[in-house]
Amino acid sequence: MSDVAISTRGLRKTYRTRRGRKVVAVQGLDLEVPAGGVHGFLGPNGSGKTTSIRMLLGLVRADAGTMTVFGRPVPAQLPDVVGRIGAIVESPKFFPAFTGEKNLELLAEAIGAPRARVGEVLEQTSLGERGRDRFRSYSLGMKQRLAIAATLLKEPDLLIFDEPTNGLDPAGIREIRETMRGLGEQGKTVLVSSHILAEVEQVADTVSIIGHGRLLASGTVAEVIGGGTAPTVKVAVGDHEAATRILVAAGLTVRADGKYLLVEGAPDPADVTRRLAHQELYVSELAPVRADLESVFLELTEGEGL
Amino acid sequence: MVRLTKVELRRLMARRLTAVGLAGLFLITILLLVATWFDARPLSAVEQQQAQQQYEMAHKDWGEHAQEMRTQCEADWKTQPDPKPKLEEMCVYSEPKPEDFGKPPTVFAQIMPELLQGSSYFLAFAAFLIGASFLGAEFSSGAIGNWLTFEPRRLRVYGSKLLAAATGFVPIAAVVLAVILFGTFLIVDKLGDTASTTGKVWGDLSAIGGRAVLTTALAAALGSVVGLLLRHTAAAIGVVMAYLVLAEGVFAAFLEKAQPWLVKLNFDAFVRHGAQYSVTECKTGSDGSYICDYVQKTLSFEHGAWYLAIFTVVVVLLGGWVFHRRDVN
Repeated sequence: MSDVAISTRGLRKTYRTRRGRKVVAVQGLDLEVPAGGVHGFLGPNGSGKTTSIRMLLGLVRADAGTMTVFGRPVPAQLPDVVGRIGAIVESPKFFPAFTGEKNLELLAEAIGAPRARVGEVLEQTSLGERGRDRFRSYSLGMKQRLAIAATLLKEPDLLIFDEPTNGLDPAGIREIRETMRGLGEQGKTVLVSSHILAEVEQVADTVSIIGHGRLLASGTVAEVIGGGTAPTVKVAVGDHEAATRILVAAGLTVRADGKYLLVEGAPDPADVTRRLAHQELYVSELAPVRADLESVFLELTEGEGL
Repeated sequence: MVRLTKVELRRLMARRLTAVGLAGLFLITILLLVATWFDARPLSAVEQQQAQQQYEMAHKDWGEHAQEMRTQCEADWKTQPDPKPKLEEMCVYSEPKPEDFGKPPTVFAQIMPELLQGSSYFLAFAAFLIGASFLGAEFSSGAIGNWLTFEPRRLRVYGSKLLAAATGFVPIAAVVLAVILFGTFLIVDKLGDTASTTGKVWGDLSAIGGRAVLTTALAAALGSVVGLLLRHTAAAIGVVMAYLVLAEGVFAAFLEKAQPWLVKLNFDAFVRHGAQYSVTECKTGSDGSYICDYVQKTLSFEHGAWYLAIFTVVVVLLGGWVFHRRDVN
């Protein structure tokens, strides 16, 4: 199996509005999703996540750029790999007047999956008892579960979830999160797009952040957090004014935060204590402040004017 | 492709609108047979007696006045300006016959082609409507996007949907037309005249029925394409209604010579193996008078067949091209 599940180079898509105005949805996106594990695909609303996913799935035509899935160029060779891809794009869309079971039966028959598989995936997604109810009578959480059941009909290696927790209650969100985590741990590749960072941070091994249809940062969660902001330490010291003067003179950035000072730019926290002690100011408390994905995301996207 | 077509057929037959449409077709078929039964009923004894009395009165009147009226007519004819109508056409006073009074018996061979043609209209309309909904609903619900994540080869998907719509209606149309054909035969056999139903008549009726089945299948496929292009059933029906009113109604009335290029006449010409239509032809007479006449013309079966074939191919290709290129959201 290829080490890279998804790769895009210079991907571009422009839409024309009803009034004829051109809107660039994706502009030169270079994306790489490693095979295995959960990959968070982050960006504010309108940043081009869904359009990128639609292009990967052959639903939308790219204006320029190349895409591969498991090393196969798509959309040209999408039929060769589509059996390995399960996808839910935005809200789950099935035939509303058919039962959940009927919807799955039609999909299973279309891909040549045995009918028994329908019952299995309904059980797997806890929909066994509601399988014979019409799709339109399902709650949003049940619709999401049915969509997941549909993706599992293929026993895919790559699962693409686009904003999977939109509109779900906390229990539903947790359920989806656990499902994604479980699939990732089974060695499957899960690409989850979201603008809710806390949701992704809890399950993702790697992330890509996009804004205005361009890649802003990519890597493991630790790499992205570490690379996005300068190291920050929280310092408790008696004389804030004197300490700030000393540290600013040393080229560091200092902000007051209640009874603490937040010091950015110190490559080693020991530098802070050393400089202050040298001026006979003694630190009573010092702790590194760990950046989270949200702060990195906001910093990156604010920098893009998003 | 075969597997996809089977799946689409299952979906078509599982749809509620298809079930409602089939129930509607069943109801119309029953109503048609009931109407035929009422039409074919012979007159009651009282009605027959009245008809006999009317005949006798008319015959008596003819015997007393026919010669006198003919003489008067010939005199009038002589005063007519040129061009004169033919004398033998203008002054006809035929002897009344008993069969001219009362109700003539219903003849199976005479009424059946009309009945089959009428049936082909409602079958085509139902097929178009259900075909349009078959694809229109898939687009309006967004289910097509999900479907394409399972089978991304769009032309296969498109072909399977059209094929399912068309083939799904072949047995439906065949059964409806067979019920109308044999049901009418049984009714007329009991109440009217089936003696003239020769082998050739059965052959002609079967051919009309076969072509009506084909037009039903084409209508289902075309409805599917229109549903796909407009992405909504109501929009597809609106387009058909607008066409019928504007093109077949208003346009055809104002530009009679364009009739051979409209769908309905070609549809009739194909189903009935030729169709009559009339145009107004006007000329100035030798005395300077301006005379307009309705002239009957015939549109050939071949014209109708080629027209429908080319029309279908163009619409299906257009739909395929649009579906192949269109972004699915």
